[in-house]
Amino acid sequence: MGFFDVLLQQVINGVSLGAMYALLALGFTMVYGIIELINFAHFNVFMVGSFVGLWVFEAMGFSGQSEVLYGLPLIGVLLAGLVVVMLATGFLGVAIERIALRPLRGVSGTAPMITTIGVSYILFNLVLLTVGANTLNYANPLPKVSWDIGQATLRLREVLLWVVSFALMLGLHYFVRYTKMGKAMQATAQDQEAARMMGVDVDRVVVMAFFLGSALAGAAGMIFGLYYNYTSFIIGYTAGLRAFTAAVLGGIGNIPGAMLGGVLIGLIESLGGQYLEVRWTDVIIFSILVLVLVFRPAGLFGRAAPSKS
Amino acid sequence: MSQYRFVRGGLKTVAVLGVAALTGLIGLGTAHAQKTVKVGISLPLTGADAEDALHIKNGAVMAFDEANAAGTIPGYKIDIVVYDSGTATAGQYDPAQAATNTKKLVADPAVVANVGPQMSGEGKAMAPILSEANLATITPSSTNPDITNPAMAAQFKPKGKAIYFRTVTTDAYQGPNMANWMHDKLKIKSVYVLDDSGAYGVGIADSFQKQAEKIGIKILGRDQLNPKEADYTTVLTKIKALKPDALYYGGVGQAGVKLAKQAYDVVPNMIKAGGDGMQGQAILKGVGFPAVEGWYCTNASPHTTESPEAADWVKRYQAKFNNAPYDDYTITSYDAALVVIDAIKRVVATGAAPNRDNVRDAMQTAKVKTIQGELSFDPNGDLLTKVVSVFQYHENKAGPADNLDVQAPYIGVAPETPQS
Amino acid sequence: MATTPNIEGARGVFGTFWGHVLSKERQRVVALVLLAAAIAFPLIDGNEGDIDAAANATAFAILALGLNIVVGFAGLLDLGYAAFFAIGAYTYGIFSSYQIQPEWSSFWEPFQWLGLVARMHVEGVPIDHAHFQVSFWLMLPVSAVVAAFFGVLFGAPTLRLKGDYLAIVTLGFGEIVPIVARNTPYLTNGAQGLNGALPPSLPWYGSFGVASTPFYYLGVGLIVFLIFVSMRLKDSRIGRAWLAIREDEIAAEAMGVNRTKLKLLAFAVGAGFAGMTGTFYVAKLQTATPEMFTFPVSVMLLVMIVLGGMGSVAGVVVGTLILQLLQSWFLQDLTQWVHALGRVTGIGVLERVDLVQSIELIFGVILVVMMLYRRQGLIPERRAVTALTHAEQTAVPSRGGLKGELKPLHRTAVDPNQPLLQIRGLAKAFGGIQAVKSVDLTMMPGSIVAVIGPNGSGKTTLFNLVTGLTRPDAGRVTLAGEDITGQGPHVIVEKGIARTFQNLRLFPNMTLMENLLVGTHTRTSTGPVGAVLRTPGVRHEEAAARERALEVLGIFGNRLMPRREHLARTLSYANRRRLEIARAIVTEPMLLLLDEPTAGMNPTETLELTDQIRGLRDRGISILLIEHKLNVVNEIAEKVIVLDHGEKIAEGSPAEVHRNEEVLRAYLGRTATAAARAAAAS
Repeated sequence: MGFFDVLLQQVINGVSLGAMYALLALGFTMVYGIIELINFAHFNVFMVGSFVGLWVFEAMGFSGQSEVLYGLPLIGVLLAGLVVVMLATGFLGVAIERIALRPLRGVSGTAPMITTIGVSYILFNLVLLTVGANTLNYANPLPKVSWDIGQATLRLREVLLWVVSFALMLGLHYFVRYTKMGKAMQATAQDQEAARMMGVDVDRVVVMAFFLGSALAGAAGMIFGLYYNYTSFIIGYTAGLRAFTAAVLGGIGNIPGAMLGGVLIGLIESLGGQYLEVRWTDVIIFSILVLVLVFRPAGLFGRAAPSKS
Repeated sequence: MSQYRFVRGGLKTVAVLGVAALTGLIGLGTAHAQKTVKVGISLPLTGADAEDALHIKNGAVMAFDEANAAGTIPGYKIDIVVYDSGTATAGQYDPAQAATNTKKLVADPAVVANVGPQMSGEGKAMAPILSEANLATITPSSTNPDITNPAMAAQFKPKGKAIYFRTVTTDAYQGPNMANWMHDKLKIKSVYVLDDSGAYGVGIADSFQKQAEKIGIKILGRDQLNPKEADYTTVLTKIKALKPDALYYGGVGQAGVKLAKQAYDVVPNMIKAGGDGMQGQAILKGVGFPAVEGWYCTNASPHTTESPEAADWVKRYQAKFNNAPYDDYTITSYDAALVVIDAIKRVVATGAAPNRDNVRDAMQTAKVKTIQGELSFDPNGDLLTKVVSVFQYHENKAGPADNLDVQAPYIGVAPETPQS
Repeated sequence: MATTPNIEGARGVFGTFWGHVLSKERQRVVALVLLAAAIAFPLIDGNEGDIDAAANATAFAILALGLNIVVGFAGLLDLGYAAFFAIGAYTYGIFSSYQIQPEWSSFWEPFQWLGLVARMHVEGVPIDHAHFQVSFWLMLPVSAVVAAFFGVLFGAPTLRLKGDYLAIVTLGFGEIVPIVARNTPYLTNGAQGLNGALPPSLPWYGSFGVASTPFYYLGVGLIVFLIFVSMRLKDSRIGRAWLAIREDEIAAEAMGVNRTKLKLLAFAVGAGFAGMTGTFYVAKLQTATPEMFTFPVSVMLLVMIVLGGMGSVAGVVVGTLILQLLQSWFLQDLTQWVHALGRVTGIGVLERVDLVQSIELIFGVILVVMMLYRRQGLIPERRAVTALTHAEQTAVPSRGGLKGELKPLHRTAVDPNQPLLQIRGLAKAFGGIQAVKSVDLTMMPGSIVAVIGPNGSGKTTLFNLVTGLTRPDAGRVTLAGEDITGQGPHVIVEKGIARTFQNLRLFPNMTLMENLLVGTHTRTSTGPVGAVLRTPGVRHEEAAARERALEVLGIFGNRLMPRREHLARTLSYANRRRLEIARAIVTEPMLLLLDEPTAGMNPTETLELTDQIRGLRDRGISILLIEHKLNVVNEIAEKVIVLDHGEKIAEGSPAEVHRNEEVLRAYLGRTATAAARAAAAS
């Protein structure tokens, strides 16, 4: 493989990695944009979503590398899985908001974030204690199609990931920008009091935001499982930290920013791994997180520094 | 009136005392006939290694139960004390917990030996404490050579006597012997080495790499995988571009499963090999065919699961544990327990009461027939015979899909020195 | 003064029970009982395993106490605290283990002579090596210093960050350190674990070796030492400054607290404790792996503090104790009990559940439950409130006033002929809005100047520019001849300007007395070392500061004095305003900037305060005040300047300004003549 072939392949790898991180960052950044809460639990809702997807596929009769589908049946199965997973995790998110976060709505400081750390721990350990520590094989109904570009390879599932990720980003962005509920969310994000006074049901807006955000997390989880063909209790951890960095880099609260941030982080991971060493990837990414937060907390596209202290 | 009662009461008392004395004597008699000696089992039964730890525990427990049932040690029963060295906070073995468990074992004078640990990281914390108390442990799976390395005796056995025995060979042999084998049998000229950042993985990858360099295999690169990460395509792409003859992975399944799956996508035709971390049910199930096809793996012990003794053992094991899974370490653990049992038996035969000093000495001079063959130890506690076995995953549709012997058959022994 | 303690803040889920236990004498008794129990424990329970577990637990208690300084005292949520634990551990590992073994040469001989290095000969190895064996007791403070250095390094980037983001950055560092440890095997032996860290030894006892008991006692000793240091720090100038930062950073800085220095100090002290603990832990375990210092460890410490009570030293000790007992003892017994229950009821799941493995789940539940229902923790920072006597409550408010000269802690002589304050061309824009557009002002010493103007005219921004809360885009501010343009707020306080805030920025959870004492921050100089040692000089300074605060309280008669040990948030609105003014006065300013001091007061109170302001001026403090109440302005201001849209549109005596056409237009929208014309036309 020549230099450019390697470069191209790593760029493809990086964009795929990035699309996955972006997918995970979308819901997270949206919720932050509306209530300025760093929701640690988001990344374990993602993990729960992947398990729900696993069970849904097993219930439908798929497990391991058993069967490959094409065309309509494939789309049907994927959609069915997606719907179930998103509903399940969406409601999980709503439950979390209702039980653990609404009582803390007016409280300033880090109490709400600490609570999300607690919820995150609860989800993580519940899954660990019930399902165990093993890496579980995921269904793989996608056909093994790939294209060669020079000596680099592009796979069907990578393309699907980019498409789905981008589509969800666009959909979310459109929703927040142009629909009534979306505008209500934007209003709440800018000033809760004023929004309330304008007739916006802030409680409903927040619930909607959590539902949507968590549903997206669940979708990301299922897509993760299909893409990597595995799931385990720990997938939220590393992916979460990288998605988090992606959201911050893109500008936390900004939805297209999350996409861009994700792709950037993915490229840094793949190009850094190729031209330096994979063992330093985490250090590089965390350093980026620190640098962005210190020198440009608004990220690439975000608002100015948060108003909450 | 009162005298009556007194006399009656007195008779009653005498009767009761008499019966008591009689039972006591009988009790004492049986007590004399059946004494107990305690053996510890310390394994990380919580966390990422829990399943493997359970296999090891089963092996040892089976041996001790059989010995008790058969009365192998005349006049003594073995009492097992199990300690968990894993903590939820660490998510795996915790050296501090292992140390605390060892202290508990040491504090109980009835404990004469221990089976374990599973991981070398625990072993490092345990060794100085064991040495201080002269309590011997025998491990079926800890392969890091530092602990029995005489050059590091000051750290790991300050009192001088070997207390860390093994029924597996160390990575000082597993890695290098595989390098030799790959050089001889597969004619490998270049290799890329990966490890999973864990204590075991780094150790075996290091020792493989050093030997490979020594015998003229070019090391095209060395990098480290993060077991918590999902995506290894970056490093696999890098490896693909470098075009080594083979890829060697030192590490366990958490990263290994993902690596195997993704390597099948990126470098399907490359020779891939790993250590004993890549051998096991978890790999077979987690990776599955066709992805795991062709992977080589090694084991730091002779291959025994297909010998006739092993077949009988497997039947007994499955009967006892309800068809539970097992692996090569279950057998090495069973054998480790056999060594302990043999040592206690020999001590008792000399007429002495077993304590940790004489049991340790007996273990040092062991010559025990086990499923692995006859086991003896060198002055450091390592096995005298240093056999490394090589296996390769090869799908056998005719045989049972979850039988490791069938799906990852034994190929041969990895030599201690290369041919050329 | 009533003496019945009525503990506020200790209510909630646990009722007033905690209130009764927590009086100071009782606390002392409880502490002594606990200490005696701790000392007696190894003698009662001879089991080496139990003592070992307890010794490990002491390490985590020390860590929790250290984290409490960062999170509880200074309010900086550090989610990566385990990084300093690691740094302390590996520092010891570098200097006192078999890890680094350079070849022997004559270079090492002087170190050998000092006992820091030994010559190591191993069978079969041709060259001798140097074995580092620096004494544990020497490394304990050295690791603390090294860790403190990293504390400053990691804390520096977080200085301008707010709560959540600060936590994330510290989390980032907490992730980076173990990875670096794993990737630098030369120093740390990476994932395989450090080999052979040296246990401590004492001259009469010998080496600790693998015995748990000496480590246990050492751990207990360290805990006692740290509790002592924590409590001394808390009840000192430094502790108050930390508390002020935790309550309201901006106000703290505006009262003279150097935020940067104190935050870094908190990080350094906290990190130092963790570094010490790292050395202790590694010396005990004789090995270290990077996995011992990961995020779950940091979270476990956070859980201890959240459970016990953030900022409360007693709370943290209790929280640690409960969690350790839970892990090592209670959960195992509870598991047996649940198994038995499962057998009895036939529920299979109960028979298999292992609660010990669920400890992390329990941590998560504790975090959620505590945050929802009892954020202050089991034992909140004790806030004792002495109830007012009936007489005090119904007393007629008296005026107080200044009896004689205020005894200063510090005073610079002010030249009466030179302008005290000179503002030239001050300007500031926020985005597209020019808030202040080239304002000039000159104030002579001993004068009262009022700044008036419609809302949004830039008055408060002007104050912020003068006091350093905002950096000006252009212009100069000179105080008594010295250029103070663009200096930080705490510097300006030190130079002699104090201020109050339009929207009140008190420290709500501190007592009145503590609020005032923060005001003395720039006039006192006790540092952390002094705070811990409490030398006579320090005690003298503290007493003088208190006296000063009491005097200032006295200005307001009996309005504030009886409530001086009450929390500031319990005050009435008017009293809060008074407290803020008192706090500003305590800083011994030459110039006092009052931002709408009489807002929310009724006419009587307004008159009273007006008098007090005049009294202050008579005692030598110059006043610049923003006021909307024109009668107040007319009463006391000698000079009035009028701002509109950031520009000075008029300056003069109150009467002159009152008549000024421009001013009328600004306030009323049109001039008097135009108004008259309009009236005539209709």
